[in-house]
Amino acid sequence: MTQLELKSLAKSFGAYKVFDGLNLAAEPGEIVVIFGGSGTGKTILLRLIAGVEEPTSGIIEIEGNDVADIAPEHRNIGMAFQNFALFPHMSAFENIAAPLRAQNAGAGAVKAGVDKVARLLKIDHVLGHAPRELSNGQKQRTALARALAAEPRILLLDDPLRNVDAKLRFEMRLELPRLLRQTGATVLYVTQDYKEAMALADRIAVIANGKFIQTATPEDIYLKPATLGVARLFGDPSINTADTKVEMSGKMINVTLGGVKVPVHGAYSPFNGRAVTFGVRPEAVEIIAPEGAALVAKVMAVTPLNERTVLLLHSEGGWEFLASLPSSAASIPEPGAKVGAAFAANGTHLFDKTTAERLHG
Amino acid sequence: MDHTSPFEKILRGALITVVLVFFLFPIFWIFLMSLQTNETILRIPPSIIFEPGFDNYRALITGKLQTTAGNLDIAFMRNLWNSVLLSTFSVALSLLLGVPAAYAFARFKFRLGEDIAFTLLSFRFAPPLLVLLPLSLYFKTLGLTNTYIGLIWVYQLICLPLILWIVRGYFEDISPDIEHAYRIAGNSWWKTFTKVAIPLARPGIAAAGLLAFIFAWNNFVFALILASADKQPVTVGALAFVTASGIQYGQIAAAIVLSVTPTLALALYAQRYLVEGLSMGAVKG
Amino acid sequence: MGELVISKVDKIYRPRRKTPVHAVQALSLTVKPGEITALLGSSGCGKTSTLRMIAGFEEVSHGTISLDGRDIHMLPPSARGVAMAFEAYSLYPPLTIAENMAFALKAARLSAAESDAKVKAMAEMLEISDILNKYPTSVSGGQQQRTSLGRALVRKAGLYLLDEPMGQLEPQLRAILRGRLKHYLREHKCTTILVTHDQTEANALADRIAVMENGALQQYATPAELKLRPANLFTGTFIGEPPMNVFNAGVKVGAKTVDFAMDGGVSLSFPANGLSAPVRSLLSSQQRVIIGIRPHALHVGKGPIRGKVVSCQWLGDQTHVAVEVAGRTVVSVAHERVSQKPGSDIELNVASGDLHLFDAASGNAIAHGSETA
Repeated sequence: MTQLELKSLAKSFGAYKVFDGLNLAAEPGEIVVIFGGSGTGKTILLRLIAGVEEPTSGIIEIEGNDVADIAPEHRNIGMAFQNFALFPHMSAFENIAAPLRAQNAGAGAVKAGVDKVARLLKIDHVLGHAPRELSNGQKQRTALARALAAEPRILLLDDPLRNVDAKLRFEMRLELPRLLRQTGATVLYVTQDYKEAMALADRIAVIANGKFIQTATPEDIYLKPATLGVARLFGDPSINTADTKVEMSGKMINVTLGGVKVPVHGAYSPFNGRAVTFGVRPEAVEIIAPEGAALVAKVMAVTPLNERTVLLLHSEGGWEFLASLPSSAASIPEPGAKVGAAFAANGTHLFDKTTAERLHG
Repeated sequence: MDHTSPFEKILRGALITVVLVFFLFPIFWIFLMSLQTNETILRIPPSIIFEPGFDNYRALITGKLQTTAGNLDIAFMRNLWNSVLLSTFSVALSLLLGVPAAYAFARFKFRLGEDIAFTLLSFRFAPPLLVLLPLSLYFKTLGLTNTYIGLIWVYQLICLPLILWIVRGYFEDISPDIEHAYRIAGNSWWKTFTKVAIPLARPGIAAAGLLAFIFAWNNFVFALILASADKQPVTVGALAFVTASGIQYGQIAAAIVLSVTPTLALALYAQRYLVEGLSMGAVKG
Repeated sequence: MGELVISKVDKIYRPRRKTPVHAVQALSLTVKPGEITALLGSSGCGKTSTLRMIAGFEEVSHGTISLDGRDIHMLPPSARGVAMAFEAYSLYPPLTIAENMAFALKAARLSAAESDAKVKAMAEMLEISDILNKYPTSVSGGQQQRTSLGRALVRKAGLYLLDEPMGQLEPQLRAILRGRLKHYLREHKCTTILVTHDQTEANALADRIAVMENGALQQYATPAELKLRPANLFTGTFIGEPPMNVFNAGVKVGAKTVDFAMDGGVSLSFPANGLSAPVRSLLSSQQRVIIGIRPHALHVGKGPIRGKVVSCQWLGDQTHVAVEVAGRTVVSVAHERVSQKPGSDIELNVASGDLHLFDAASGNAIAHGSETA
């Protein structure tokens, strides 16, 4: 049975529409990531599900029951907030114990529950401290522990790693999937970091302009983005784009980049003559010898990016684009060098210029 | 970067001293006056050296005043007791009404909310004299003249707006997420209000309560018109020192010292609750 | 462009109190003309104090700072010939974005047309051309930050100081703006110092990075050098995401093999000639050693390191495989799509040339592959 279902959920503040027509069905134990930029309504969505805010229209169902008349304290939900929202006048122990105390658990059960989840999150040694005495990482774990303490069926995590330093964020990104699966809860996880989304999710729901643009597995989101917007949001560096037109000459399909005709591989023949936005992911740009290459470019800058190296390139026709090579690649060109570029098919996409939808055969 | 020279430091110290003396001197002088007899006070030139005596205080406390024209009964201690009673109960009532109201204004957006809040604040704008005449007529009709209840009710005009507006600000400063977290953890909104909102707004409630107490204590006109001698607070009671046989400066000074003491004590006690930063560290940003 | 020489600079806060804070300790470094240097470290390491001393907002407790041979540490900020982009943007609210950027050019006495052209070109580079007529309060944090950066760059100065210049930027813009910024600074031969806690940013932009911790300079070298030959364990683990995998191990140098015994019964053996003679002789005087292996050097495949897969995360252009080995989690990065089921057994191997060896007591580097440190 679906654990959590959203049906045509809408929320507006007066004339300002945050979102409408949101549909989502999450299975028990599934981790669904809500991904979008700031101001897209992700936090408000979580508040509606938690019950601390009311939707303008639409239905929220938990285990098949409409929760419209059920107050937040009776929805059996655990929530972790982006800014931690710990109770400042209580110790870390009392913070985590709050959900258990609310259920009128006995002192022994409360202590056992708190200790169990604190050990899981490795904060059992700071339980006696007040929130202001904890580091950001410890606060974040305390907030998570509080959400998990009463073993809720549904977990709402609002960008819990946002305010935590880069090193810890990376560590948690490795640990969280295992931790969340252990709880067995259905998880709605909000984030603006695409790597986090891809690392954690069973499915990602991309929210923009008040709607879920695409809800799919990380693999489908990355390899088959529904729109140019989705393609832009996933990938670092972001996908290269150019406005152009599909032109067929014989069996070859070409696009014009910076005045140069470049062949494109893919089943695009039905779209001959269409105005499109051409997109190629930086990691799909292959650097080859300039002689005989369809596209020749000059290397403007070389910037390392962790395990990869990014080249800023200007094509001879003036098109600016980025290529991303593994840092361990055999040869990385120097700034000022002239190189050729070819595009691998699985990282190349064409998007309709007007609708921004991905074209596929 | 601290570039102040020694000269600037001395100048700064001197200016601070001057300002302090300017403000504290009257209080110091009144304290001295309370220990002197009328003759010593009115002596020219005035002098700081004298023999201190507690006659003024004795007169106030025992309620008997000896003047050159004979003995007078002073009801000062009764007045002091009235002040304490009126101020305490007024503040208590306004806290009971005002704190939940402040929470409602802070957390719930309802129609005309701002208008109602502003109306309640506007009570502070109007000079009390404006409403006194109609008020005294109403009181007579309702039989509230010269009752504690009547005065406490009227004092709400002074105390309630203060509580409302100050405490509302403190509730608004609490991140709503903290309250949401407590509710989602399984607690009703009432428990959230009592166990989270009020403890976190405690500095504001203490500050507002203290301020309301001071304003209630210092009020003059309401008690003057709406109450008679046995229910009047010290502000009105001080008039009694202007006697037919002359103004009793010594007793007035002693009365002032005694009037200030309860408020001062309360302020010193409440000070530790006025510590900001209770919320620090629980919410990021 | 100018050469900046920082010589034995100390910064001590509250020197006369009981607990003085020694924020910067005997810092010495030279930034070559036209070079881009990053001061990198976590919060409290002294990088911001150093930048403020160079700018003139803090006094130097000891030591000297000179630009182009001229001592500047006693001069007020305005007399130093330095342009600064602040972490908190510090834009002038009553001026538009364009006016904010042009403000810096007033002192240069350019014609209105020239000033306009410079501002427009800078705005185009930083993708803020569409907000030139707006006011700072009505644009996003990322746009304000770019304006602040543009305001500093549009001026002609001997030294450019950038304090966390791209922290608020939308992730989609970062890569391309880093490329453009680097190209611009190179083209105009700007001597630049940028302060950041983000090692990704430092690696992308800087010619050389000065890694700082607790007020002390750990290492001042190119990004490649820091990656291949970190001077100590701190630098080795600070640079790189995913961070370097670290193991504590007992070491035994034998005639035929060099053996590393890690916790949990995991052991690594290399043929003796896999490590050069100088390295082997250094190792034979050690009982224990700390081994660092970078994620891309840890390969999935038959090998001596056995563990259980914790997670396998495909991020589009690379896969991070986290494995529990010897009681800790290590990460291996592959540039192609790899699929491993969490909970399954896995084997990892590493080449002897990819090992970073650190002294178990001090953390200082002993050897990197076949080179001694």
